[in-house]
Amino acid sequence: MLIEHPDEAAGLAIASGLRFAGYAVAVCPGPLGHGQCPLTGPAGCAPAHDADLVVCSLGYERVPAREVLRELRTRYPDTPLMVEVPSDIDADLRELLDGCHQLPASATPEQIVAAVQSLSGRAVEEDHAGA
Amino acid sequence: MRSPFHSEQEAFRFLLLLILGLLPIVLAAALGPTWLALVVLAVILGVLALRVAQLRMRKVRGLALPVKMAPPHMGSAAERRVLIVANDTLGEEALLSEVERLACVPDTRLLLLVPALISPAARLTGAIDGLLDQARARLKTALDRAAHGLVVAGEISEADPLEAIEDTFATFAPDEVIVSTRSERAASGLEPRLAGLVRERFAVPVRHLVFDPGSAVQEPDRDTEARYRHEFGDAAARKFGLKALAGAGILAAVLMSMVALVQSSERDEARAASQAAEQAAWLPPVAKLVALKVIAASKRGPEGEKHDAFTTTEFAVRAGQPQQLRIDNTDSVPHSITAPAAGVNIVVMPGTHTYTLLVKQPGVFLWFCTFVCDEWAMQHPGYMSGYINVS
Repeated sequence: MLIEHPDEAAGLAIASGLRFAGYAVAVCPGPLGHGQCPLTGPAGCAPAHDADLVVCSLGYERVPAREVLRELRTRYPDTPLMVEVPSDIDADLRELLDGCHQLPASATPEQIVAAVQSLSGRAVEEDHAGA
Repeated sequence: MRSPFHSEQEAFRFLLLLILGLLPIVLAAALGPTWLALVVLAVILGVLALRVAQLRMRKVRGLALPVKMAPPHMGSAAERRVLIVANDTLGEEALLSEVERLACVPDTRLLLLVPALISPAARLTGAIDGLLDQARARLKTALDRAAHGLVVAGEISEADPLEAIEDTFATFAPDEVIVSTRSERAASGLEPRLAGLVRERFAVPVRHLVFDPGSAVQEPDRDTEARYRHEFGDAAARKFGLKALAGAGILAAVLMSMVALVQSSERDEARAASQAAEQAAWLPPVAKLVALKVIAASKRGPEGEKHDAFTTTEFAVRAGQPQQLRIDNTDSVPHSITAPAAGVNIVVMPGTHTYTLLVKQPGVFLWFCTFVCDEWAMQHPGYMSGYINVS
């Protein structure tokens, strides 16, 4: 699971919840953390490439965060995205979020873990049904 | 240093790189002069050293990507695993009290990791026993004090502290890491910036406990951690830069000496070959094949009687070079060309046969026939005796 969260403590809290739920985790602060996000360059992001699911909590009212989301969708279209979205969504963001799993902004780590577990359970069920 | 045989994939990649690295050297050695192979070797070693330096600098400076990782939690959902990394501070009362306190918390498992901090020089000379014994003694004291049996475990590591912690994440999967250092790095102590490096790399809470003599334990704030990173990171980078420079100088000196040695030996060989060619040019030419006959009672002696004789009795040969003799022995018995001083003994059988005359040392050697035939002829050069002139 890749968790994209600009706040270190909040990212670690989500990571801890997911770890105790049995997932290996990677936490990235996104473009605000280090000033340069590999998703905005040609190299791409190895953790995003390897992830089974990306939890995106970068605050999508900001343009750089939207760019990251756009790149994630373009480069790794098969990787499911779970996005924490603000209450007021503009048309651009609505289009960007099409097909993503959405969570209300400021979701607690427990809510995020439950949503991930629910999504994973659904994916497993779909796999079984497909088989 | 990380083993290249950590996994099958890494071992395969290592082997492939080794072959790809050796191939140009072998090709250069086979198709060109030796110095070219050495130059190719130098280039490959240079590229390798640059790559190692780049990776090392990245490690010294910190991660390129600000991504923290952590494996899934191990054990039951209630269990909490704490990794404590310490070396010279392991005997500190405050740290031991903290270990005891954590050991008493239900469902908590502790692992004390003591990196032995073996320097590359100590590793190279094999003088690591003292450091390991010191780390073992510190761990034993701490474990005896904690005395909580299965709850507190201990581990000594010979690896770099950060690599040792990374390995522990694979086997113990801690939910929290406590790094214990001093504010200044001692000879047998962990670097104060280690906590920052762990925090940067692993997605678990990291506590940094700093001990200094005569003062209470401290947990540095963000700015202090940044200062540790900056000061010790720069110091490590400078130290590594100096070491890399020294290493490059030594490598360049060794390679230049090798190239000079090879070139000098090639020059010597060329000079020897040219001298040999010059000498050969001054010597009289030698026929590749000498044809002669042995005929009984064919040559008249000074007393007027006919004697057995070889038609050629003077042979000019080169030392160490075989000379072919095609001898037609028209007699019905064997004869010989025997020169004991030259190590020659050719038995010439009846009929036409080809023999090899080989003398290894220069000089003029008397030869004679050892088969009893014409006694007079056997004692007179020009008949059944003669000379081998070796130049």
